[in-house]
Amino acid sequence: MAIGKAISRVEAGDKVTGAARYTEDVRVAETAHAVLLGSAISAGRVRGIDTRRAERAPGVLAVITHLNRPDFAAVPPTPYTAEGRMPLVDDRIHYAGQYIAVVVAETREQAEHAATLVVVDYHRTSPVPTLDAALSQAYIPRENGLARVPSEYRRGNAEAALAAAPVRVEEEYRTAALSHAPIEPSSTLAYWEGDRLTIYDSTQSVHMHRPLVAIAFGVPEDRVRMYCSLVGGGFGNKSYSWPHVFLAPMAARVVRRPVRVTISRKQVFTGTGHMAATVQTVRLGADQDGRLRALIHDSVNQTSFIDDRQETASAITPYVYAVPDLYARIRVTKVNTGTGGAMRTPGDSAGAFALESALDELAHRLGMDPLELRRRNHADVDPVSGRPWSGKQLLACYDQAAERFGWDRRNPEPGSARDGDDLIGYGMAGGQRTEHQRPAQATVDLTDDGTAVIRSSMVEIGGGGLTTLSQIAADGLGLPTAAVTFQHGDSALPAAAPTFGSMTSGSTGSAVKLAAADALRAAIDLAVGDRRSPLHGADPDDVVAHEGGLRLRDRPGDGESYRALLRRNRINTLRGDGDFQPEGEDAEHAMATFGVHFTEVRINRYLPRVRVVRHVAAFSIGRVLNAKTARNQAQGGIIMRLGAALMENQRPDPVSGRFISPALTDYHVPVNADIGEIDVIFVEEPDTNANPLGARGLGEICAVGICASVANAVHHATGKRVRSLPITPDKLL
Amino acid sequence: MRPFHYTRAGDVAEALRILSQDEGAALIAGGTDLVTLMRDGISGPSHLVDVNGLGLDEVRWLPGGGVRLGAMCRNAANDSRLRRAYPVLSEALRSGASPQIRNRASVGGNLLQQTRCTYFRLPEFACNRRNAGSGCSALQGDSHAQAIFGASSQCVAVHPSDFSVALQALDAVVLTEGTRGRRRIPVDQFFRLPGDTPQVTTELRRDELIVGVELPDSPFAARSHYVKFRERASYAFALVSAAVAVEVRSGTVRSARVALGGVAAKPWRSQAAEEALVGARLNEETIAAAGDAAARGAQPQRHNAYKVELVRRVVRQALSELG
Ligand SMILES: Cc1cc2nc3c(=O)[nH]c(=O)nc-3n(C[C@H](O)[C@H](O)[C@H](O)COP(=O)(O)OP(=O)(O)OC[C@H]3O[C@@H](n4cnc5c(N)ncnc54)[C@H](O)[C@@H]3O)c2cc1C
Repeated sequence: MAIGKAISRVEAGDKVTGAARYTEDVRVAETAHAVLLGSAISAGRVRGIDTRRAERAPGVLAVITHLNRPDFAAVPPTPYTAEGRMPLVDDRIHYAGQYIAVVVAETREQAEHAATLVVVDYHRTSPVPTLDAALSQAYIPRENGLARVPSEYRRGNAEAALAAAPVRVEEEYRTAALSHAPIEPSSTLAYWEGDRLTIYDSTQSVHMHRPLVAIAFGVPEDRVRMYCSLVGGGFGNKSYSWPHVFLAPMAARVVRRPVRVTISRKQVFTGTGHMAATVQTVRLGADQDGRLRALIHDSVNQTSFIDDRQETASAITPYVYAVPDLYARIRVTKVNTGTGGAMRTPGDSAGAFALESALDELAHRLGMDPLELRRRNHADVDPVSGRPWSGKQLLACYDQAAERFGWDRRNPEPGSARDGDDLIGYGMAGGQRTEHQRPAQATVDLTDDGTAVIRSSMVEIGGGGLTTLSQIAADGLGLPTAAVTFQHGDSALPAAAPTFGSMTSGSTGSAVKLAAADALRAAIDLAVGDRRSPLHGADPDDVVAHEGGLRLRDRPGDGESYRALLRRNRINTLRGDGDFQPEGEDAEHAMATFGVHFTEVRINRYLPRVRVVRHVAAFSIGRVLNAKTARNQAQGGIIMRLGAALMENQRPDPVSGRFISPALTDYHVPVNADIGEIDVIFVEEPDTNANPLGARGLGEICAVGICASVANAVHHATGKRVRSLPITPDKLL
Repeated sequence: MRPFHYTRAGDVAEALRILSQDEGAALIAGGTDLVTLMRDGISGPSHLVDVNGLGLDEVRWLPGGGVRLGAMCRNAANDSRLRRAYPVLSEALRSGASPQIRNRASVGGNLLQQTRCTYFRLPEFACNRRNAGSGCSALQGDSHAQAIFGASSQCVAVHPSDFSVALQALDAVVLTEGTRGRRRIPVDQFFRLPGDTPQVTTELRRDELIVGVELPDSPFAARSHYVKFRERASYAFALVSAAVAVEVRSGTVRSARVALGGVAAKPWRSQAAEEALVGARLNEETIAAAGDAAARGAQPQRHNAYKVELVRRVVRQALSELG
């Protein structure tokens, strides 16, 4: 069995030797380079824009502004078109850094230089700079930004139940705006041949983004071919087509040459979204024995003047605990900032900080072990639909992680544990993520040299999909993983599920499994119908795949290799098709992934910077496809959220709203020295209710609950409850 | 970035000649700061004069005591004798940036690195330091990282260097050479507070370059220490740092230096803290008094009152760890 094995990534060698080809590495003859000029103000209009000097600068081919741009054919649909306003359509400015001109030149340096020569006359209006400034204007979005998630949910009468509850916690929690901060700045290379468009794009899904580009330029979808082999980190920011994706083909049309746009490092912070800041209130009502009676979770996030994009912080809340009376609401409010985007883990990471902190506060007030509080409120069935869960192993996660961590050694008294000048704190928190699935297609070709080729448009984002899906095909055909290759990242291939929303394993993985099974069936049919085959005349159900070929289940000696079978029949390839269709709304089971985190922090009592020295997490995600890539993925998600807990902050300038830390020097993410021991447990159980493969997504659940776990540990260490992220030293002095 | 000429200077005289002839010329050493400033449109020299060919990369021990570091010594300088004689210096260097950057960054460049004030580094904001008379966006802006000492109504930025804080505590002297000859400028005078001319950050003239720094032999240098407190464990500028050096004889502090980083437009010497130490026994009480004295007179901005308390604590920590 290849599935489950801890094998290294198939593309690892290419990545460490520099052979791996990312979008920016693609070379096309005659490529011109475009640089995007961002607005210097955050609200107002472009009154005038003088491009004459820029046009005369060396190497310049064109300067495109709202005054001379070609028209878009149509506005493609949101949310996967990131902004509902197409770039350069008019003179209006909604946020700092919004693109107001495209400068195209022979080289990138020439374009950068010419961009400095564009003179803009701005008409300034006064901006709404921050979430706080806009808080009183919060509203439920008219047009729901993420159709899957309702803005309001109610069961029972939460207000009345809260009023009647003997114990209450009512607090406000805040999360900062965050940057995805991937290593790879987004890049798009586009060229036209007549009305055929070829586009290389740093995208998390060629098949979801191709139609958007086709609509924008008014060409049939099959005239657009989109490629993306590898993504150098996305975390959600490449799950949308941001304005530069449309500006590259536009510029290519104007200069009649291939055009590349690679946004600058600074533009990564303003041009490809962020996780919006939130202000949340949580109200909990409980009995003396810790049973939750009422839960109200209200969230407001900043959004742009262009779009109503929700950070769906309270969307998961109705599903997590068995609370009879509950109200959850998500509102937005307009700020002169760019539109936010989904970032690992959309909604749930920010929401879990509030909910799981509040539970810790409740446990403290009740004098109860916070883990026990969660056990008492365990949702045995989905509290929203009443359906049974598909493979929920949360209680086992609690037990195993608590034991590994040594939770029972915790003295509940805050400030009770010390080591020299270090205050020691233990904290814990839970996490849950609704499992999403989408249709996915793949083919698996069995070839006459005894190898197999997977064809599916999946994009490898660093999570290990190329490897795990190869393992699935290998198992399906009885081949070693090394005998499987993968054609991917090309819209001419069968459509994979997007590489976001944790859908690679469950959806695309299932398509590969089905395709491999289909190829195997074709091989078996061929063999049993072939007089010259040792398997001739056998019942197809008795034939199984084994070590590069077929054999009878009960008589291992009888069989032959794929190679022999195909060559004898002069067949180069046998193709298997896989078409995965999720069950949808009427499924019998509710599907989610679950996790729990335990964190040990140490804080010097004089110079209080939080150090996370130990973190133990356990996840219930069904079947684990590759122990190594899974552990890797989980550690990455945990580290990412440790950053949000302790340091990451897209600070807005309080006057203009411009983000003032658009550089990795200022926007701090954890460095190696910040990371202690991270231990990850998977409580496995093949979950075939979810899909044929039994695997659910890991990429997102692994990043839910960490911030609260850290904040709860900080409270345990210091007695201080920090309700506003990140937990920087100034908050602990 | 603007187009520019590039010359790799063969000797100091050639570098000086270009500097004095070309108003738009700038020296480039490791380039770890200057290149970023050029890319971001903050600095736009028309002529880069590369000083990497000038030598100036020696650590030379002086016969009468003290040591001279050439301007092109890298921030990775890791000389065991230096470490023993001036621990605070080695510690400050090691606490800065990352190994890669330290391998590239030079002594001269470190002194002349620009502030990390985000309002200075983003050309969209008004900044008197970048563009004299244009205003200071930081005054109404986010001030969490700004100065608590020596700021003016024109500029509230801080000097980001760790190395310079150690130099301040060691009474170091900056050695310069210009078309009008050589100068020896004590570190404390080398850096300027913003006052009404925040665009002038040092005493260095347009037609001068730094050839090195000199550390005198001092009775307090050997017992010195650097504590840098920052937002993450490594690879971040200081929120507040302290360089301390103390000479103790017969249980009593004879002389002391306390310099602070992250709090002012220059490495900030706290004479009040030094006075609290001199003549006293180096015990917990004295150390606490020195910490308090160091924080006295601080004028925090809207978002950085926390730095005042940090000064107290960082100074205490540095002195306590001296043992
Ligand atoms: C990501 C990052 C993190 C950093 N973290 C820290 C930190 O924690 N602590 C810290 O102290 N520093 C830190 N730094 C700053 C770093 O120390 C400086 O960038 C470096 O010391 C500059 O040296 P350089 O030789 O590269 O200078 P350059 O970039 O080449 O030049 C900087 C300036 O000095 C001038 N100059 C250079 N040499 C001479 C000379 N001999 N005479 C006259 N003028 C000269 C140049 O004209 C220019 O104005 C960091 C830098 C980066 C990029």
